[in-house]
Amino acid sequence: MKASFLTAVSAALLIISGQAIGAEKSARDIVEQAELNAYYSGDDGRSAARMIITDNQGRQQMRQFTILRKDQQDGGVQDMMIFFSRPADVRDTVFRVVKQVNDDDDRWLYLPDLDLVKRISAGDKRTSFVGSHFFYEDVSGRNTDLDNYELVSESEDSYVLKGTPKDPGNVEFSYYEVIIDKEHMLPIESTFYNESGEAYRKMEVLKVETVQGYPTVTHSRMSDLTNGGQTEMQFRFMKYNIGLPDSIFSERSLRNPPAEWLQLRD
Amino acid sequence: MIDVIMKLATGYRRSVFWLLTLITLGVAAFIPSITIDTDPENMLPDNNPQRVFHNEVKETFAMHDMIVVGVVNENSVYNQQTLTDLHTVSNYAESLDGVVSDDLMSLANVDNITQEGPGTIRFEWMMKQPPENDAKARYIQQQVEDLPLLYNTIVSGDNKAAAIYVPIESKDESYALAEQLRDKISTLESGDDWHITGLPVAEDQFGYEMFVQMGISAPLAAAVIFALLWVFFRNVRFISAAMIVAMSTVLITMGALIALGFTVHIMSSMIAIFLMPIAVVDSVHIMSEFSDRYREKGNAKDTIKDVLGHLFTPMLFTSVTSAIGFYSLMLTPIPPVQVFGAFVGSGILLAFFITVIFVPAYVCALKPSTLESFAQVTHEEHKDGWLQRLGAVAARHAKLWIAFFLAVLAFAWFGIQQININDNPVRWFKPDHEVRIADEVLNDHFAGTYNAYMVFENTFDATEKARSAVREALNNDALSAKSRDALNTLLEQDDVNFNQWIIAIDDLLFSVGSDQLEPLERLMTELEQLNTASKAFQSPELLAYMSEMQAYLQTTGLVGKSNSLSDVVKTVNRELRSGEEKDYELPDNANGVAQTLLQYQSSHRPQDLWHFVTPDYKRSLMWLQLTSGDNQHVTKVVNAVDSYIQDNPLPANIEIDWAGKAYLNVVWQEAMVEGMLDSLISAFVVVFIMMVLLFRSVVFGVLAMLPLSLTIAFIYGLIGWVGKDYDMPIAVLSSLTLGLSVDFAIHFIERTRATFKQTGNWQDTLAVMFDEPARAISRNAIVIAIGFTPLLFAPLVPYITVGVFLASIMAISAIVTLIMLPAVMTAFSRLIFPGGQS
Repeated sequence: MKASFLTAVSAALLIISGQAIGAEKSARDIVEQAELNAYYSGDDGRSAARMIITDNQGRQQMRQFTILRKDQQDGGVQDMMIFFSRPADVRDTVFRVVKQVNDDDDRWLYLPDLDLVKRISAGDKRTSFVGSHFFYEDVSGRNTDLDNYELVSESEDSYVLKGTPKDPGNVEFSYYEVIIDKEHMLPIESTFYNESGEAYRKMEVLKVETVQGYPTVTHSRMSDLTNGGQTEMQFRFMKYNIGLPDSIFSERSLRNPPAEWLQLRD
Repeated sequence: MIDVIMKLATGYRRSVFWLLTLITLGVAAFIPSITIDTDPENMLPDNNPQRVFHNEVKETFAMHDMIVVGVVNENSVYNQQTLTDLHTVSNYAESLDGVVSDDLMSLANVDNITQEGPGTIRFEWMMKQPPENDAKARYIQQQVEDLPLLYNTIVSGDNKAAAIYVPIESKDESYALAEQLRDKISTLESGDDWHITGLPVAEDQFGYEMFVQMGISAPLAAAVIFALLWVFFRNVRFISAAMIVAMSTVLITMGALIALGFTVHIMSSMIAIFLMPIAVVDSVHIMSEFSDRYREKGNAKDTIKDVLGHLFTPMLFTSVTSAIGFYSLMLTPIPPVQVFGAFVGSGILLAFFITVIFVPAYVCALKPSTLESFAQVTHEEHKDGWLQRLGAVAARHAKLWIAFFLAVLAFAWFGIQQININDNPVRWFKPDHEVRIADEVLNDHFAGTYNAYMVFENTFDATEKARSAVREALNNDALSAKSRDALNTLLEQDDVNFNQWIIAIDDLLFSVGSDQLEPLERLMTELEQLNTASKAFQSPELLAYMSEMQAYLQTTGLVGKSNSLSDVVKTVNRELRSGEEKDYELPDNANGVAQTLLQYQSSHRPQDLWHFVTPDYKRSLMWLQLTSGDNQHVTKVVNAVDSYIQDNPLPANIEIDWAGKAYLNVVWQEAMVEGMLDSLISAFVVVFIMMVLLFRSVVFGVLAMLPLSLTIAFIYGLIGWVGKDYDMPIAVLSSLTLGLSVDFAIHFIERTRATFKQTGNWQDTLAVMFDEPARAISRNAIVIAIGFTPLLFAPLVPYITVGVFLASIMAISAIVTLIMLPAVMTAFSRLIFPGGQS
């Protein structure tokens, strides 16, 4: 409801701005297509992720986890479970996320050695994802309705779009530029700029593989351009349309992980 | 020697003048490339192990140098206006180049953790936007008071002050950054008090004040000396010679210092003012004698030759002894003091050299009419009656005087016992200086702006065990050649990086067939266990030990506040459980700690964790906030920790060490005290040996050392009695006193012996001694003492201390020499002057 209202408003604005209609409309189309490709491939999916977090002194930490995902609706509500396996001291820690479109996500957390299930309410999604340079929002996908887009340039193989937050008070960037690769219609580079127009944060896709016909990012990197440090994230064992039952996206699975769906070796 | 000098003075006069001018200008040309060094850390050599450790800790735990911006509101900072201003300044500071924005800390950029209904925990910015009204501001107050790491660190315990900690990339930029912040603050409309402090700011300010000192005090010293010489000799042309000697000595010495690549530190900035009065002393001797003898000879060349014949040896010896006093400072382990000692010492020898070559040449170049009037004026001077009386009094009550000096010695002995060794670079500023005021205000409100870091380190090394686990796995026949290669590559690495090893084996696990799974999985499990075991600072036992030590430190009253990894874990654990005080405790096991910290890292500021522990969890830093940076205070803290460890031994394989500026100050001050004693003793021995050689007599050697020994003892006794802290400038004074005040004794004894040879009678000798020789000695004492007084107008406390003490030391040691030597000589005249009739 809210979304369609926003769409109506932006459509009205576009009509007023006349000439910009074509550009904005296509910019939004591009972004929405990219969002679907990046976060909603197939009806569900599984992948094993590994993050190497390197700080500005070159010191490393590792995080290894398996993600199970199921879309309730393409571009809409999405269920997600994240099961940690490494380092060994955080093994069996589980996050459960219900990604909402028009509201805050629902998040739960299970910490096995504290024997604790906790619901998490976050003021915003731009906090570090378990100590990495990626934000929660980078993992779950930033809602495209939160920003206005314009097409900055277009080349033979890519679009460059500029995203400007509708509510600047809620984010730490003043705008960002995203390069979308025409071949896969995937964002392959995003650069975030602060108020003084300096680039301070950058996501780069290092490798794209096609899995079951879906172009999939399998290696990406987020860098802190101001203070140094970066996180590389690699995905392996991707599988789409595996028929995940709704029942595993539940509080029960936090304490009792669905082992059969987490088996990576076939 | 004297013939050579006379030849230069007469035959090559122009060359002497030109050469001196050229050398002076040539070397002085380097002065503009001066580099000021204000870092107290440089009191220790670059390679000092504790300094190296301190810097390594600073880097490892990202403890940057900080500018501290404080705002004080006498009611409470929790009001809309103050917090809005704080928000503005904090965001502004974050946007500045040269600021480490990631680690900037203020209410405006820290996270808050709260309970949001049962079973729900909320993470959000504490104050992403300024509060809309005072009620919202007070809500922030409740939040802050609930978070131990923030409370009394970013807002004071009395709620009247809030701080913005601005970490900077380089200390060199601190002044510019502080200025930008001041400008920003001046645009604010509220009536709050804002303060800017922090060591980098103080250091910058210090550098500026040093320039002021050199720009004002040194020329002022020149003016004062000029005026004094005018009073004594009343002839501008003549005293210009002494001033030229002083100027070229100072310019060449400072030029050489800078040309050789030394930075100008607080000590070396005093070189000019030290050299100026000392450099004119030899000229004063030459001029005094010249005016006395010119009448007899009536010719400049002969007179100067005669004067030099008399004075060359004593002048050489006094110059060498003074130089030794300063050179002995090179024995201290403190580089700025070494540089100071080396250059002042060499400057004194240079001054002697210039004096004996230039002054004769200059005098020979003057017109006879000038010389005539000079001799006329100075000779008409009336005799100083008080000096005669002083000599008589000294001799008449010889035994009484000796008893008095012994009493003074006893007084000094007890005073020295009470000496308080203490220093603090912030106290180098005067009490009304803004840096000192800001320091006081902020320490009054907060738990302390002085930092000491206690670094805990796990010495258990899992490297060998990891390697042998891999070797063990290699014994398994099931492994393919490819797997073996992969494992051997790991063994070839110099260091065991558990993350990389685990990743490599994880990759291997997914690429091999099921026949190889068993050995590789077993190896993986073993490595993971070793990795977990090596993360010492996830152990609740160790964290509990740290907490208990913190609690103990709090009871000593010496530590304003301490922050450690244990506080982080307890706070997050509390919020994860209930948010209530009863859950402010450590999890039961190491994995629980790891999971708690995983949550802590899921914030806006994940990097904050690395201020307290390294990512491998092998080292941990406990941050102690102290309200005083006095080294005595810090020493007490260190002792308190030592005794705590004595009673509660550290867990196995754990070691601690100290870092932090406040601690480094202790290190160099201890080094200074020990070093000064070494330098004093060695200077004493060398000067004593020189005296014995000079006078070819042990008795006179001992006699020469007496006045300065009493003077030094008296001065330090007085410092003990008065309760003045024994700090760096005070420490440096001892060797200087020795080098300078022995001059008086040399001249007195030398002249006494010469006179005694003529009179053969101690009583007559005494009368002669208290005429011209005593006058020359008191004149020199006055020149040096008054020459140092411009330091009293310096903007920084160490300069003033040096000024006050050197002036009084010179005065006291001249008086002591003039009373003590005649008194002792009278009392022991049979021993000292055998053969003469008493």
